[in-house]
Amino acid sequence: MFQNTKCECGHQNPVGTVLCESCGKPLDEELLTDESALLEMRYDGVARRSQKANPHPIDRIWNFFSSVKIAVYLIIITLVGAALGTIFQQENTLINMTESSEFAAYYKEKYGTAGVIYHALGLSRTYESWWFILLLVMIGTSLVVCSLDRVLPLYRALSKQQIRKHLQFINRQQVVYAGPLKGDQEAWITELGKQLKRKHYRVWQEDGALLAEKNRFSRWGPYINHIGLIIFLLAVLGRGIPAWHMDQYLSLYEGETRQIPGTNYYIKNDKFTVDYYTDAELANNQKGTKVVKLYETKARLYACTESCDDPLNEPVLKEVVQHDIHVNSALSYKGLQIYQNSFQQRVRFISVHPTLTNKETGVQIGDFDLLMDNPAEKYDVGQYKLALIDYYPDFDLDEQKRPMTKTREPNNPAFVFQIKGPDTPADGEIYIYFAMPNEKSKVYEKLLNDSFKQRGDSSGRFAVSVENPVVDGKMNNIKYSEYTTFLNIRVDKAMPYIWFGAAISMIGLIMGFYWQHRRIWLRIDDGQLSLGGHTNKNSFGLRADVAWALGRTGIEVSPKSLDNRRNGR
Amino acid sequence: MNWLDFSSNSFIVAFYLYCASFISFAIAVAGKRWSNRKAEDHTSRWGKIGFGLAAIGWLAHLTFFFTRWYGGGHIPTSNMYEFMTFLGMAIMFAFIIVHLIYRNMLLGAFALPLVIIIIAYASVFPSEVQPLIPALNNYWLKIHVTTAATGEAFFAVGFAAALMQLIRVVDFSRKDKVGKRAQFWTEFSLYVIIVLIGFLVAVFAFRGAGYEATFSQEKVTIADDGTATSEVKEVKYGLPPIVAPYNSDIVEFQSFIGLDKPLFDAPSWMNGVNAGRKLNTIIWSVISGSLLYGLLRLLARKPLAAAIHPHLTDIDAEDLEEISYRAIAIGFPVFTLGALIFAMIWAQIAWSRFWGWDPKEVWALVTFLFYSAYLHLRLSRGWQGTRSAWLAVIGFLVVMFTLVGVNLVIAGLHSYAGV
Ligand code: HEM
Repeated sequence: MFQNTKCECGHQNPVGTVLCESCGKPLDEELLTDESALLEMRYDGVARRSQKANPHPIDRIWNFFSSVKIAVYLIIITLVGAALGTIFQQENTLINMTESSEFAAYYKEKYGTAGVIYHALGLSRTYESWWFILLLVMIGTSLVVCSLDRVLPLYRALSKQQIRKHLQFINRQQVVYAGPLKGDQEAWITELGKQLKRKHYRVWQEDGALLAEKNRFSRWGPYINHIGLIIFLLAVLGRGIPAWHMDQYLSLYEGETRQIPGTNYYIKNDKFTVDYYTDAELANNQKGTKVVKLYETKARLYACTESCDDPLNEPVLKEVVQHDIHVNSALSYKGLQIYQNSFQQRVRFISVHPTLTNKETGVQIGDFDLLMDNPAEKYDVGQYKLALIDYYPDFDLDEQKRPMTKTREPNNPAFVFQIKGPDTPADGEIYIYFAMPNEKSKVYEKLLNDSFKQRGDSSGRFAVSVENPVVDGKMNNIKYSEYTTFLNIRVDKAMPYIWFGAAISMIGLIMGFYWQHRRIWLRIDDGQLSLGGHTNKNSFGLRADVAWALGRTGIEVSPKSLDNRRNGR
Repeated sequence: MNWLDFSSNSFIVAFYLYCASFISFAIAVAGKRWSNRKAEDHTSRWGKIGFGLAAIGWLAHLTFFFTRWYGGGHIPTSNMYEFMTFLGMAIMFAFIIVHLIYRNMLLGAFALPLVIIIIAYASVFPSEVQPLIPALNNYWLKIHVTTAATGEAFFAVGFAAALMQLIRVVDFSRKDKVGKRAQFWTEFSLYVIIVLIGFLVAVFAFRGAGYEATFSQEKVTIADDGTATSEVKEVKYGLPPIVAPYNSDIVEFQSFIGLDKPLFDAPSWMNGVNAGRKLNTIIWSVISGSLLYGLLRLLARKPLAAAIHPHLTDIDAEDLEEISYRAIAIGFPVFTLGALIFAMIWAQIAWSRFWGWDPKEVWALVTFLFYSAYLHLRLSRGWQGTRSAWLAVIGFLVVMFTLVGVNLVIAGLHSYAGV
């Protein structure tokens, strides 16, 4: 199709131009036939790259991504996909499962057939799925392309505007006024310009024509918003870069120090506390229930300075920071963030402080410290030397009634000592000590020690036990941790970009929505005034401006009567 | 009288003032032929009275809010009761702003019932001041919740105007398919609103009568480490149980017009906290809402939309569309800031991640995407007018689902106690 792109005003327009770039006369065939229809004023009718006549394959891709229609589809598909992901729990909320089969079983058990389908479709991992990420990438691409496609043409159209516009251009705006004008026309135009200036319009005048414009900058709002969104999306994708992102959980009982995997840092839980609201603080319908007020880990962060990766030596640690971690208050150190996640009430042994006694004489020989994790191999107690020859943290008997340990956790720790001293045989006496102060382990302790005696490994004189294990209802000479804290350790180097993108986006939104670009064109031909106004939003405000300014110059009109759309539609 | 009592009294005052304001607006819309004044004068006079009452009501509502804040020691936006009353207050704020811009005397006739329904809904929840749980104990709570609710409030006003627009343009003389469809859906929207009112009527009627039934429900929970613990919980019903909770026994049951045991049990997949009771509530809402709707239909002797339609003919549909669009345009940046950006900042501080795909977060994003689709669609031809009004209506449904539905249907970090 041949299209004449030279306008009657003499301006040569690029192919695809809808309204002459110079005088605004409609060029598009369709627009010319129906003279009463409103003009499509987007981008002031200038040509865009996506409107080329014979698209090349690359142009087709370009056109695809620059189309607002496609953008809306993308947004809607993303919206629906995101919503589907909320029907059932997502896999990543099930922290304690890892295997695909475990998840499958969970969904089957919890949600039945629907759950099986949900899991099989991959909806249980919606937000990590390739199609969801692809949608975000496509929205991002579309944002880049549509902005490039439009922003330059729009800039060109707005930066070189002609004051005197074609009559059709003026009469087919959304806000119009037409009527005779008596008296001195130039003086009237100047006066109207003055009034519009009072409404903060910038005014240009040319013989018998006027252009008033305000808030042009708000037209850049959507583009700035889109740029912010692009930065935001890039930052979100950047979180996929392994070095930029770390997210792991550590559990620590009180007193425990652990290395943060993958780093040079060690974290220690000095103490964990939970506070509950008292009944007086609770509402009536909550009384008697336990409502947590605060839970907090007193934590210390250490950096390893020497023999860090040396399996033979203990690492040398240097304390770098101390912080009481609670919800809403994380420990933060050089980009490393440590958050309070949750806690569990679980008693765990740390150490005991037992005493070695001679049962025959009743003499207390001495006491010593016994750790549950990595206990020392030798102890000096009075004149005696104790060697730890076996340690069962979680004592039990196997099928052949031989001692064994079920786990590495000190749930029922049993220590086998060889006691050597002035009055013992050369290879010492054997004694097994159960640290747990309960009936069952004491029965075991007696039973096993009696069998040692029968075998001749022991005289049965010695006893290891904790003195006064309970004082005032509290365990004494025994150290244990009451709670295990779960900490979440994070590194997220993309965060600054995320906030930056969000801020830019917000600025764009505010620019675009709380200011509106308003333009008023008028020209006088043989005593006949034609006025047209355009705004990208809020034509109510524009009509009010026009009616006010006309009223000030002697033309009383109601704002509503200026509305051209009501006839148009 | 302490601060909290004073606060509740202010709330009641606000509620009655809103009702009075609604009545004035309704007179402004419907009573044009009653007086011998000119229709315009009548509307403007009663509209002004309505607006004045609404403004005083809002002051009482503000008093409620600030005295509760002072008396309770923290900003009252931390449970469902407090949030919904705040939302009502925010909608009034948005309504006042939009009213001051457009001076449309009839908008109140649709905005006020919305506010009244929302604060009545709030009153269904326990209204006592509860102490904050650790996650909520942060000043971002104030900032995030208040801005998000303000954004949503503008969407609510956009919804009210869009609904007016739909009733204004619906043409009951049309017999073709498209016309019929428009009639059906407009009427259906009104029906849904009446079901909501039915819910409120049922809850308050039975509560007023002191109705209560109790079940004991055995609940087996499987902890993360695989151990199963079974726990017997009491489930209290305020409405006569048509549906019993899954796996439960009756503890106490006041019979109600011959209903002395539940008609059926909730299905097993509805085993969430109080799922049986929620299902029961929904059934009651539909029953009482339908009765109410039937009654109104009998009185009007025609579809309700057809009954309201003639009173709106002297407003331009274009004006309503403009109001609706503008309210949404004002609300969109506020919503983005409050419900997404501030939410992310707070989530980063409290939960270590700015975004965790928690159902509430996802639905805030869905709301955001929905309204951005709305804004983009309006850039194209053919999507202004009725279609865009429907989008504004659906958009508000999405908002309400995010605020209420997610809590009732999907549990997550943000869940407050349900109905
Ligand atoms: C989630 C992603 C997006 C959001 C939140 C968003 C947001 C917005 C907003 C708020 C506006 C202003 C609307 C108005 O002034 O009424 C806008 C305008 C626009 N958007 Fe988007 N947008 C998104 C994606 C896209 C994409 C992918 C495209 C690609 C085609 C696109 C193309 C446009 C265009 C062409 C405009 C009009 C610009 C103008 O008035 O000059 N948007 N967008």
